[in-house]
Amino acid sequence: MKNIIIGQYIPGLSFLYKMDPRSKLIALMLLMVSTFILQNVFHILVMLSLVLIMLKIGGIEIGRIARGLRPIMILLIFTFTFQILFVKTGSLLYELQLDFSVYNILIAVGLFIVFLFTRKFMRFRLLYFLVIAAAIMTLFSLYSPGLYLGTRNIQIHTDGVSGAFFIMIRLIIIVTLSTVLTLTTKPTDLTLGLEQLLKPLSIIRISSEEIALIISISLRYIPTLLDEANKIMLAQASRGVDFNEGKLKDKVMQIISLLVPMFIISFKRSDELANAMEARNFVPGERRTRLHVLLWSRIDTIVIIVSALFVAGSIWVVVVW
Amino acid sequence: MNIIEIKDLSFSYLEDKPVLSNVNLEIKKGEWVSILGHNGSGKSTLSKLIIGLLKADKGEIVVDGLTLDEETVYEVRRKIGIVFQNPDNQFVGVTVEDDIAFGMENLCFEREEMIKRIDEYATKVNMQDYLKKEPHNLSGGQKQRVAIAGILAMNTDIIIFDEATSMLDPKGRDKIMEYIKEINNEGVTVITITHDMKEAVHSDKILILKEGEVLAFGKTNDILNDKDTLNSSNLELLLPLKLLYKIEEANINNQEIKDILWQLSLNE
Repeated sequence: MKNIIIGQYIPGLSFLYKMDPRSKLIALMLLMVSTFILQNVFHILVMLSLVLIMLKIGGIEIGRIARGLRPIMILLIFTFTFQILFVKTGSLLYELQLDFSVYNILIAVGLFIVFLFTRKFMRFRLLYFLVIAAAIMTLFSLYSPGLYLGTRNIQIHTDGVSGAFFIMIRLIIIVTLSTVLTLTTKPTDLTLGLEQLLKPLSIIRISSEEIALIISISLRYIPTLLDEANKIMLAQASRGVDFNEGKLKDKVMQIISLLVPMFIISFKRSDELANAMEARNFVPGERRTRLHVLLWSRIDTIVIIVSALFVAGSIWVVVVW
Repeated sequence: MNIIEIKDLSFSYLEDKPVLSNVNLEIKKGEWVSILGHNGSGKSTLSKLIIGLLKADKGEIVVDGLTLDEETVYEVRRKIGIVFQNPDNQFVGVTVEDDIAFGMENLCFEREEMIKRIDEYATKVNMQDYLKKEPHNLSGGQKQRVAIAGILAMNTDIIIFDEATSMLDPKGRDKIMEYIKEINNEGVTVITITHDMKEAVHSDKILILKEGEVLAFGKTNDILNDKDTLNSSNLELLLPLKLLYKIEEANINNQEIKDILWQLSLNE
């Protein structure tokens, strides 16, 4: 528990690290707006290659970005398949006839069960799933003995293909940009940047300083609470609670035996913390000076201008073409 | 000159269950006063009342000429720093330097001044090599030292140590006691709250609390020689005191003294 790292910050030296978190947040927002302005698969491909060039200059490994993409892989494949299968505009590219019969459905179900039982042992589960899905499709189109049940046609249209790639690339760009932000900015700097950017919210009586303080205290207490959860789990285990096995009902009881003490301890903690903060002259809403200050440099101005130009460029591209 | 004056102070969390009743106390500038008492004797409640975290039912607290009430509470807090018992629950900053700065940020110190003071007081408690470290990489004793640096940096006239050493190992405890002595020698008024008589011996004066009432208040020497008071306080006595009382009880020979000494030290 001694080596918990919050966030995915990795120290580095490139221009992305020298930037002010505020300018990074603004640039991120501008570029995200761009991805929503662009409406064409070729334009978004151009943007993707520009993003890749930025990664190259910024000295960020593609592997790290890929790891950031992993959680949304399912979403990517899902949207991709839906676009390809259900968009019926544009010219017809390919048509696949699927004949369903008793035997090939049985074989398909069998294949799926085999998949469920063997996926544990495979390294690339997603790839394995795709192979199995393709095999089932081929089966339906080529082999249909036994009692005939019906036919379905799968049609793939040009708009479906371009739309699928378009949405996938858009999602990849958005996730890549936000991963770059978290990779190159310390959580504390990010909080400070957010605080400064949210300052205008004071008009509607939302204090950005308090939001930032809440975030930074949460960040500070995550390792402490994890440590505590670990201790409670050990304490409960020594009293006979088994956190690994049991039916759903037992699991719920196990979670409760962890959560109840966690809640009580956390409330006690927050009470003492509030006392300690007040004793050190903290008054909510009062003016405070700050130890950490953000420094706006020339790189920040340049990046903001480039991002703004990019937005303008994408509007121009969409309107003129 | 009295820096803290407490007159007829009473407080209760629940009605008809008084935690403190009619406490009177005067502390002079530069003194070191220990507040001794059992769990539940009201000693921590007293410190929370002095710093205005709780509101007294009855009585008056005057800190450096200011009578504590809703309007003066923030000014009073500027004069008093407090180090709490649990090292984890008073560490506000994400790193050591952030935590030392927290109090100064609230007092609106200039940034340059803060950096200077962080360096000065971190060096003072020997934590200068840990400025960028996160709290979960520090031991309890180190966290308490950071807390002390944070209070010292605020430049308060009075520092209260509310059982600040009770969650530390013996080594960490000794170190904190050394810093307390040093701070007191530099002219800061110190109040240590403890149930350990060993810690109280170092102070100038001792106040013994029993069930919310002042049992005794006086010079450390006088209190330690007051056998009746100490016995009625139910506090765990120091080994030399226990031995002294045993010897006084009866005429006993050397062998018996040896036996008693062994027994007492085994019970320690």
